[in-house]
Amino acid sequence: MANVLWLQGGACSGNTMSFLNAEEPSACDLVTDFGMNILWHPSLGMELGDNLQQMLRDCVSGKIKLDIFVFEGTVVNAPNGTGEWNRFAGRPMKEWVRELADAADFVVAIGDCATWGGIPATAPNPTDSQGLQFLKRDHGGYLGKDFRAKSGLPVINIPGCPAHPDWVTQILVAVATGRAGDLSLDEFQRPKTFFQSFTQTGCTRNMHFAYKVSATEFGQRKGCLFYDLGCRGPMTHSPCNRILWNRVSSKTRAGMPCLGCTEPEFPFFDLAPGTVFKTQTMMGIPKDLPEGVNKKGYIKLTGAAKAAAPAWAEQDIFVV
Amino acid sequence: MDREATVSPEQTAADGELRKRLRGMLESGLETEVEPRAYDHDAVQSVVARLQALAPDDYEGKLRIAGFTLTPWRGEDEIEQACETCMYYVVHRRFCELPELMLPVEPEWSCRLWRI
Repeated sequence: MANVLWLQGGACSGNTMSFLNAEEPSACDLVTDFGMNILWHPSLGMELGDNLQQMLRDCVSGKIKLDIFVFEGTVVNAPNGTGEWNRFAGRPMKEWVRELADAADFVVAIGDCATWGGIPATAPNPTDSQGLQFLKRDHGGYLGKDFRAKSGLPVINIPGCPAHPDWVTQILVAVATGRAGDLSLDEFQRPKTFFQSFTQTGCTRNMHFAYKVSATEFGQRKGCLFYDLGCRGPMTHSPCNRILWNRVSSKTRAGMPCLGCTEPEFPFFDLAPGTVFKTQTMMGIPKDLPEGVNKKGYIKLTGAAKAAAPAWAEQDIFVV
Repeated sequence: MDREATVSPEQTAADGELRKRLRGMLESGLETEVEPRAYDHDAVQSVVARLQALAPDDYEGKLRIAGFTLTPWRGEDEIEQACETCMYYVVHRRFCELPELMLPVEPEWSCRLWRI
């Protein structure tokens, strides 16, 4: 039996909604099949008021063993570092976070806000928000870069806006069933099993990417969304086109550019006007090229690919 | 699939007629706004906004505002900017699919909205 506590800081509840929609395994499966005991969760928790405070204090003291502490949302430090703008169970949430993280065997950050600050931490960051162990790309965050949970692992980051429900439940199962040692984390502490490949991996538009055929409007089935509509699929690490959303589709499959929401810089360019859904270029060349590709190589590749493009690559081949 | 198979024979013929007409305008000395190049977002948006204000059949206006030339444009960085490498160019139809242009072109032509 693994005790799981889930708290929410500066957040929109999007990751809670995502988690409750999990299918493989589902939130119910965590309890019935994998032996998890959900001590408390913002949408599922039964305790209120004094009882909740007592339970949290018991987790901190060790009276209740805290196996997994899950945090959704940012750590809010405003105003003036007090955290008073986000109070919970009688005190600033940030104080609970510190003590519970120190008491837990594993700490899991769910969603961009908890991992790197996400949208709340976008400049000018009025809530003085941080992720648990990162602020955007800067290692540290609220808990500090040297933080380790009792298990010896740093915060396990599962980013996304929101994170895919099955990324959440599958990682929780791995941890709860004693397989945390099998998890390999990348430089941003994301499980490589989900975040080593790219969003583009498995995208149905890859042939259009290869032959440099661009989509020019949303919803077009023909064409790649990278060249004009700001898709970040080639530079973003996520399995969105391998583990489909609702088991059916993904943003790019539906004609919606990837926003790069599993990367620390999300939202990119601080949401400056004209930067969303538009590929940012300098002298006609994308500012952000597919990972590992340099400008010279990109230009050569584009010339060759367009010259070799077959006629069918320019058509909508997904006939209804 | 042959070279022209992406559109109907009628469309191909119409594209050819219009392409010939556009070439004629450029060869007869139509002055186009080749520079300044639309190298950043604001510049692109400025040019696009002006194109959006045109009637769909104002071909002269489209050529002029987009800065079309009959030959590739080469900047200080020696990168050749030609329709054939542009993201909006549909190779087999020889057509610019930028929604604000939608013009039959030739691979060696160029305009200041080029992006790769």
